[in-house]
Amino acid sequence: MTDAQKPAKRPRRWSGALGRSSEIRIFAVALILCVYFETVNHDFLLTGASLQNLSQFIAPVAIIAFGEIMLMIGGEIDLSAGMVFAFAPFIMYFAIEAGLPPWLGMLAGVVAAGIVGLINGAVTVYLRIPSFVTTLGTLFFVNGLTLTISRGTPVSPPENSAFAAFMGGWGYSEIIWTLALAAFMHVLLRHTRWGLHTIASGANPLGASEAGIQVRRLKLGNFILAALLAGLTGILEGFRITSIDPQAGGNQIMFLAVAAAVIGGTPLAGGSGTIIGGLIGAAVLGILNDGFTLIGINAFTFNMILGAAILGAMIFNIHVVRLARKGNL
Amino acid sequence: MAQSKEDKDEVQGMRRGLLQGAGISAALALMGGMGGMISSAQAAEGGSFPAHKRWKIVFVNHVTTNPFFVPTQYGIQDATALLGMDYQWTGSANADIGEMVNAVNAAIAAKADAIAVPIVDPKAFDKPIQAALDAGIPVFAYNADAPSGSTNPRLAYIGQDLYLSGYQMGERIANLIDSGLVALFIATPGQLNIQPRLDGAVAAIKKSGKKIDVQTIATGATVNEELSKIKSFYLGHQDLKGMFAVDAGSTQGVAVTMKESNLPSKGVHGGGFDLLPRTVDLINEGFLDFTIDQQPYVQGFYTVVQAFTFLASGGLVGPANVNTGLKFVTKGTVDPYLNTSTRYEGKSTKAQIVPRTGAIKG
Repeated sequence: MTDAQKPAKRPRRWSGALGRSSEIRIFAVALILCVYFETVNHDFLLTGASLQNLSQFIAPVAIIAFGEIMLMIGGEIDLSAGMVFAFAPFIMYFAIEAGLPPWLGMLAGVVAAGIVGLINGAVTVYLRIPSFVTTLGTLFFVNGLTLTISRGTPVSPPENSAFAAFMGGWGYSEIIWTLALAAFMHVLLRHTRWGLHTIASGANPLGASEAGIQVRRLKLGNFILAALLAGLTGILEGFRITSIDPQAGGNQIMFLAVAAAVIGGTPLAGGSGTIIGGLIGAAVLGILNDGFTLIGINAFTFNMILGAAILGAMIFNIHVVRLARKGNL
Repeated sequence: MAQSKEDKDEVQGMRRGLLQGAGISAALALMGGMGGMISSAQAAEGGSFPAHKRWKIVFVNHVTTNPFFVPTQYGIQDATALLGMDYQWTGSANADIGEMVNAVNAAIAAKADAIAVPIVDPKAFDKPIQAALDAGIPVFAYNADAPSGSTNPRLAYIGQDLYLSGYQMGERIANLIDSGLVALFIATPGQLNIQPRLDGAVAAIKKSGKKIDVQTIATGATVNEELSKIKSFYLGHQDLKGMFAVDAGSTQGVAVTMKESNLPSKGVHGGGFDLLPRTVDLINEGFLDFTIDQQPYVQGFYTVVQAFTFLASGGLVGPANVNTGLKFVTKGTVDPYLNTSTRYEGKSTKAQIVPRTGAIKG
C-alpha cells in the first residue's frame, strides 16, 4: 500500500513546472534559438552592436504586445495598433511645431493615441460591435487620417539631444523602456485589482459581472491602454530612426505583436494572459528576424523560413506541454 | 489500468514522433550549416587579382519585391559571380524605413564587407551609415541619393540624376500639352528616389509658363494598388489632358489605363519612368508616349564593382558617383528593348551575350 502511494517526486516536479508555466517553455525555445544562431553566426549575440541591434528588433513588438495581451485576455483585439503607431508621432510633431515643448508634444501624441483607444473601446463596449470589426474600421480611418495630415511626406522629429536620446534616440533606450513597461504591466496584471479583474472577466464574463466586477469599464480602460502603448511605441521608433513616416508600422507590426502575445502563451480566445510570456514571444520573433538576416537569407525566401520557424517553435512549445502534462517527459 | 496503458502508448507515439521530428530538423540544419561553411571557406580567384576572401555585400532595398529591381538583382548576381563575391538582398517589402534601418544595423553586426542602400529618407540613414563607416564597412548609395546639402556620409551614389530626369520629363510634358489638367502619379511621396523627379517635373512645367493644372496623386508601393488608384482617378477626371508617373509601377498603371480607355485617340498624353515589360509593350503599341530608362541592371552591377575595387585596393580607390542615365524611350526607339529578352532588362534569367550590328543611334 505504501509502495503504491510513492509517486516519483523529482521528475514530476520539474515536468510539472514545465507543463504549468508557458513562460518557461517559451523561454526554453528562445534559448535554443539563441544557441543555434550563435553557433551558426558568431556575431549574433555576444558583441555590443549585435545586442543593441537585437534589442531594437524586439522592443517595439513587445510594447505593443503588452497592450494587445490586456485586450486578448478579455477576448478582444486591437487591429488599429499599427496605424496608431504611425499617427501619434505626427500629432507630437504638429504639437511641437505649434510651439509646445518636446515633452508636452510627446504627451499630446500619446493622448491622441488614447483618444483613438477610447473610440475603439466605446464602440465595442457600448455599441456592442465586435472589437475585430471596430478596430478594423479605426485601422483604415486612422491610416487615412495620418496620410491626410502628413500629406504623405515624412518629417523629422526634434533633434533636442537629451530628450530625443531618452525617447528612443540612444541605442539601448528602447529596450530599457520595454523592460520598465514589462515590469509595470506585469505588476498591473498580476498584483492589482485591475489586472485580476481583467483576468476574471476574461475567463468568465458572466460570473465576473455577477460578482460585481465592472466588465465594461475594464474593457474600455484596456482599449485605451493598448492604444496608449501603441502610440508611445510609434514615438520611440520615430526618435530611433530620426524620421516620422506616415507609412511606418502598419499591419505588419500589429500582426507581429499579436503573434508575440500568442507565442508567449496568451490564447487568442482569451481567458488568461502573461506579460512576461509576451515579452519572451517578442524576443523569439526578434531573434528569428535578426538571426536569419545575420545569416544572410535573401528577401524572397526570408518570409518562408520565418513562417516555418514560427511554426516549428510553436509545435515544439505545445507538444512539450502535452508530454509534460502526461508526466512522462 | 487499460486507460493508463493507452495513455502510455500515446505518449510513446508522441515522444517517438517528436524525436523523429527533432532528428530530421537537426539533420537538415546540420546540412544547411555545413553547406554554408563549405561555400564560405572557398577562396575566390579571378583573373589578375590574387586569391581573396569571398567578400559579402549586403544590398538593402526599400521595395524588395518590386519588379523594377529584378534587373538590378541580375546585375548584382552577375557582378558577384564575376568577381568572386557573395551578396544578400534584404530590406523592406513596402518602404518601411524602420525595417531598412534594422537591416543596415544587422549587416553591420554581421560584419558585412560592404553595404549598399538607397537613401530614401533624408535623415534616417545618416546614423546607421556613419556607424557602418566607423566599423570599417564601405557604404554605397544606389538608386536614390540623399538630398544635396545633406550630411549623409555615403561613399558614392550610383543611380540616375533624379531631379534632372524629372525636369526633362517636365519639359517634354510642356511640349506635348498646352493647357489643361495633368496628373502626376507618385508611388510614395517624400521618398527620395522618386520625389525629386516630381519636384523637377513640376518646376519645369511651371517654368514653361503654360496654363497646365498639375495634380499630384499618391498611388502606393505595390503595382496592384497603383493600377487601381490610377484607374479610379481617370474615371473621376475624364477631361484630363495628360497622365504621367515618376516610378515604374505607376508608369505601367498609366500605360494600362491608357490602353483600356483608349486615351491616345482622345488626345491624352502619357509617360513615365522605367522599362517594365508591359510598359515597353504598350509604348510599342502606341498607347504611351515615352518612358525614361535609368538602367537598373548597372545600378547593381557598378555598385558591386565599386565595392570590389574599394576592398581590393584597401580603400585607396573605388567610390565614384555614377549617373546611370536618363534616356527617353519612345515608339521610334523601343524596338531593341522589345526584340531582346535578356537578363539586362530583367526579362530572362538566361545568361547571354547580345549581338548588335549597325550604327549606334543616339
